[in-house]
Amino acid sequence: MYTTTSKLRRFASLLSVVVFMFSASSAQAFEGDAKNGKKLFKQNCASCHKLDKKLVGPALTGVTDKYSEEWLLAWIRNNAELRASGDEDAIAIFEEYNGSIMSSFTTLSDQDIFDILQYTIEGDQKVVPVAADGSAAVVVAESKDYSKQITIGLGLLLLVMVMLLARMKNTLRLVNGQDPVSILEEAGWFWGRLINNKGFVTVATVLVTVLFLNQAYWWMSGIGVEQKYQPEQPIAFSHALHAGQNEIDCNYCHSSARHSKHSGIPSANVCMNCHMYVDGSEITDETGNLKYDGEGSPEIAKIYAAIGWDSENREYIEDYEQQPIKWIRIHNLPDLAYFNHSQHVNAGQLECQECHGPVETMEEVYQYSELTMGWCINCHRETEVQFEKNGYYQDFHEELTEKYHDEKITAEKIGGLECGKCHY
Amino acid sequence: MTENNKYWKGIEDQSNPELTEKLAQNEFSNEVSSADFLGNDDAVQTETSRRDFLKFMGFSTAAATLAACEAPIVESIPYVVKPDSLTPGMPSYYATSMFDGSDFASVLIKTREGRPIKVEPNGDAPFNGATNARAQASVLSLYDGARLRSPKVNGEATSWSAALSAAKDMISASSVLISGTVLSPSASAAIEKLGLRHVSVDAVSQSARLDVYESFAGKRGLPMIRLEEAQTVFAVGADFLGDWSGQNFSAAYASRRKPGKGMLKHIQAEAGLSISGSNADTRMKVRVSEYEAVLATVYNAVAASKGFAAVNAPKLRADIASSVNATAKELIASGEGALVLNGLNSKVAERLALAINLALGAKSFDTTTFVYTAKGDDKAYAQLVKDIKAGSVDTLVTLDVNPAYALKELNLEGVKLVSIADREDESASQAAVALPLSHYLESWSDYVPADGQYTVGQPTISPLFDSKSAVEILNGLSGGTESAVELIKASAATMASEKAWNALLHDGFAQSEVPEIAMNGAMNGEMIDVSGINVAKPSTGLEFYTYTKAGMGSGANANNPWTYELPDPITRLSWDNYLVMSAADAVEYGVEIEAQSNGAMNGNTVNITVDGKSLENVPVWIQPGQTQGTIGLAIGFGRQNVGKVGNGIGVNAYELLPSSSALSTKVSIAATEVEHGFASVQLAHTMMGRKIVNEISLPTFLTESPEAWNEKPTFETHKGPMSAFEANLWDDHDHETSHMWNMSIDLNSCTGCGACVVACSLENNVPVVGKEEVRKHRDMHWLRIDRYYSSDMTKEVAEEEGVSAIEKYAKMEVPSESPSVVFQPVMCQHCNHAPCETVCPVGATVHSREGLNHMAYNRCIGTRYCANNCPYKVRRFNWFNYKGNEQFADVNPSQDDYGRMVLNPDVTVRARGVIEKCSMCIQRIQIGKLEAKKDGRILNDGEFTTACAQACGSNAIVFGDVNNPKSEVSHLKQEGRAYHLLEEVGTQPSVFYQTKVRNRA
Repeated sequence: MYTTTSKLRRFASLLSVVVFMFSASSAQAFEGDAKNGKKLFKQNCASCHKLDKKLVGPALTGVTDKYSEEWLLAWIRNNAELRASGDEDAIAIFEEYNGSIMSSFTTLSDQDIFDILQYTIEGDQKVVPVAADGSAAVVVAESKDYSKQITIGLGLLLLVMVMLLARMKNTLRLVNGQDPVSILEEAGWFWGRLINNKGFVTVATVLVTVLFLNQAYWWMSGIGVEQKYQPEQPIAFSHALHAGQNEIDCNYCHSSARHSKHSGIPSANVCMNCHMYVDGSEITDETGNLKYDGEGSPEIAKIYAAIGWDSENREYIEDYEQQPIKWIRIHNLPDLAYFNHSQHVNAGQLECQECHGPVETMEEVYQYSELTMGWCINCHRETEVQFEKNGYYQDFHEELTEKYHDEKITAEKIGGLECGKCHY
Repeated sequence: MTENNKYWKGIEDQSNPELTEKLAQNEFSNEVSSADFLGNDDAVQTETSRRDFLKFMGFSTAAATLAACEAPIVESIPYVVKPDSLTPGMPSYYATSMFDGSDFASVLIKTREGRPIKVEPNGDAPFNGATNARAQASVLSLYDGARLRSPKVNGEATSWSAALSAAKDMISASSVLISGTVLSPSASAAIEKLGLRHVSVDAVSQSARLDVYESFAGKRGLPMIRLEEAQTVFAVGADFLGDWSGQNFSAAYASRRKPGKGMLKHIQAEAGLSISGSNADTRMKVRVSEYEAVLATVYNAVAASKGFAAVNAPKLRADIASSVNATAKELIASGEGALVLNGLNSKVAERLALAINLALGAKSFDTTTFVYTAKGDDKAYAQLVKDIKAGSVDTLVTLDVNPAYALKELNLEGVKLVSIADREDESASQAAVALPLSHYLESWSDYVPADGQYTVGQPTISPLFDSKSAVEILNGLSGGTESAVELIKASAATMASEKAWNALLHDGFAQSEVPEIAMNGAMNGEMIDVSGINVAKPSTGLEFYTYTKAGMGSGANANNPWTYELPDPITRLSWDNYLVMSAADAVEYGVEIEAQSNGAMNGNTVNITVDGKSLENVPVWIQPGQTQGTIGLAIGFGRQNVGKVGNGIGVNAYELLPSSSALSTKVSIAATEVEHGFASVQLAHTMMGRKIVNEISLPTFLTESPEAWNEKPTFETHKGPMSAFEANLWDDHDHETSHMWNMSIDLNSCTGCGACVVACSLENNVPVVGKEEVRKHRDMHWLRIDRYYSSDMTKEVAEEEGVSAIEKYAKMEVPSESPSVVFQPVMCQHCNHAPCETVCPVGATVHSREGLNHMAYNRCIGTRYCANNCPYKVRRFNWFNYKGNEQFADVNPSQDDYGRMVLNPDVTVRARGVIEKCSMCIQRIQIGKLEAKKDGRILNDGEFTTACAQACGSNAIVFGDVNNPKSEVSHLKQEGRAYHLLEEVGTQPSVFYQTKVRNRA
């Protein structure tokens, strides 16, 4: 039914299995460094093994109680050789895991293997946040914006000064034997002068109109521009984790960006290439403890629900009614504009980030660029054509260099601003 | 020395010269009221004042602004498990075969995201690897919402197992299976397994012709014609460029019609003006009843020269006798290069044609290889009619035939019906069991279209409805449980054993040696000798015959809007069938055609009785070139139960004449008071009175230099005489660097078949507008094929005869009794000094450095200045929102959830109020360049082409980069025959034409 099921089998058979049963000897004492062991474990073993759960191979907690040190060394380094030598335990494990072949690790030193084994004994230690001393629990003071308060303060100060001046003027008037004038009366007189001044009224009207039109223009040209648009997605997928921390190439998931007009949202089976083994149970929270208590991540479980993966038995469910994942589209170009990813990514050799921004830092992706025609055009005016090593441009390049001499040959100069290049 | 034949665009030009003039002046004949284009019933029912209109406008502007403030949430849904072979946004192609009962083609299907969107020719296929208009349109029939969606028993939807068992219960030893031609060996095997008596009948019967070959070669097929070998072809009633034997001749014909020494001479004798007749060098107007006599006369001349006995040939009319005799001489002179084709479903006529070809040793007439696209047997059918009348048939199983519509002699009341059909048509709707048949794009199938040719058809999409392939249904009826693919695989294993299954699917075909056939007697005098044959005496009264149209064909796509919207190449009418009649007969019967004030054409209707069967109010079209005393009617129209598009359009010709009869002479007609409105595209875009089609004769071409017959206009300037390319006011665009796209259209190769028009519509999401709009000349075709008739009066003749100027021009409007016909495809000429560009107030149409005239729809504000300023009249205005306006719900595929799937996702669906026009398939240009860029290589000539050029079977349209000196189009541009349309206007088009050369003195 599922082609991925057979793929899994093939994959699994290429990988390994085993380690098990031996005379339980608590006498095993390794001079191992669990910390280094954890690192090595993640690099070499985690794709098939977990400490507390069967994966492709058996759970490894307590493995040192079951097998002798020499046996483990021999098995881990080259299990095939061990099996060939007729070791019964080795063959038993191999058969128990349906002949899945475990890779040999001949490059690991004895110490490396001891470190890993030590890690299987110690496991993931719960980290308790310790307030070592008072200063350790640092709270970073939030940097606040005080400009508003300053403005209000200055305004108040100005008001007080106006009052003071008015008072002073009235005092002087009293000294001169004149009647004091209230501040409002004075303002009214001043306003009367202004309003009757044609020059002022004209300038003010023009100014207000221009400001209004300007605002209206900017407001209206912002209609339909969805920059910063950040919808909530059905799965809390983090690009920061995948593209940033794990440095997965954009093209791994968005593979059609190089070939097609669409960059393509990966289908669930692409997610499963990794998430068949990574169920999120090892994710830790800020304190370093397991976030989901060793259970799989509920977000990753949504992929399993879509494709029909039984994470307990590690197999695809037969005749499962698959449910597509309904992502919310962030970058919406109008239908009247034709955009082709491969033109830009492949022929134009642009980095994804030039338009999509620092996706590798985004927990939740938002629309980084304006995606307006002005924005497109601007880039076409500035971006040089990637002539180098592209046979297609060979002849044109010479002709264009002859024509434009030392000028930059931008997309504009080869017709990149023409209407029909994007609108048809 | 250009021949100044005066071409006029139609007989109706003369009927109201003032109106014609007015219409010629106006690009758009009339305006649309605001209520109409709002396309809303409430609005339409009220009288809308200007004030109301402004209210609507104000409201909609405000609403649009408000609505625009919040963007809708768009979901983006990826596959759960993406098929490996599919990349979203990239097309996948599948080779398959199309057979609809009469048309066979090896095709490539372009699919996008799993949806078939375009039929393209499979150029590698050795047999019929070309598409005609019907094959191009067939993809839309897949998305026909009127198709049968599940099996039905007594009108109730049910499961396949229930329906099959109900059908099996009905079938007994006295049941009969009736079908069209079965080309599929696997289906034939399934029919054999079913064990029912099987009767084949064709929409256009070839039965009598087939009988001839069955008796002498033992094969029920028509001989393969190797047109490449022919020197002189004489076709009698055989429209071999339209519909004749099922073989596609376009490529071979075009290659033999290249001007030069040894160019094929084509002589046609026929009653109605056909596509072949239009392309012929010499055409004789012959009555259908004279076909046999014409062939007999030619035979006698040939027999006399070869020493065979003559047959008793009736005397021909004096006005055709001399041409027939001259033709016979030419054929004899051509010897083995001669070829005679017969189109009459008559044993005598076919026997005579065969005898002539054998006597002359015609190399092109291959009597060892047969084509099987028609296998119908009229004798078996006649027996079935009798048996049903006698009540000896209990159940009639119909396989993709529609007896209630097409086989009027069958009395269906006496039998139970099991219909294997794609829809609840006239027959399936009264069937006890209806079994839905998959469209060919959903089916597994295999075919033997000709000896030595085996092709497979593979599905390109899962069935949209609960339907099955023909072979699976037939197998199911006999209790088999194999799936269609298993049956085809098994069949392929024996039919194409040397080709691996995957290779077979990839190529779509396999070839094998043509088996030797045992012949009844050698190719000798015995077979040539036809003495004693009884040649029918021509009739003298009115004759009635049926024919097929380029769009409709045999009627397989009768609910497909493109079938109707494509104007008939000859009459230039769409959405109709009608009686074609000569002008002389029209006068006799008091029939007229008149132009209306809105530019539409109205004509008289007649009541017609043929062999005692009559039809009322049948419209009549007056057709130049029609033989006096003959009237023809196209089949495939007049459907009652085919779907919302085709229901009630035209009249059913089978009501008058069965497919098995070639003609009837018992005809009477009487004009009625009822008027009929025609949808004519004829007057919409006139280019009269100027050098439009440059036409010369072969001797002129061979003996004189191009300057003499392809004169380029020059202008006197202060710098001396200058060509239209040098004398101009404007700055030239820079076309030196990168590409410069040009298109060459060879008027010698273009047969006018219309495949390009449909292909263009498909590729570019051109809206279908329906009859009422076409009547108002609001057709939206980006590419039209102008058809011009010639007149006998030319300036030279006038000078010789001393005719006065006024009389001369008046006479130039009068058609020749037998006009020459030329076809000229016209699309946007992509002028480098484009008149449209200068008048656009918003810069919506601008020029590209690659020589294209771009049209930015979203910039267009609909002033239509450009269309008014276009000398070629190729710009189309979206008067309506065709994809949403209720008025177009029945005809426009994009208003239908299924029909919408055929839209090309790379091309915008235009909104109301904008101009659109040919873009030279810019989407193909862009993707073609991009593929080269991605591969980092030079773009090669012919890597991609436009949809019209691709669809053109005769390679009349060649597209390419003239800046590439190696390209075909750059060579064609240097040809002496090349000229630009209206070159004197100084528009410097990127499209150019090749002078038409006729092979006659």
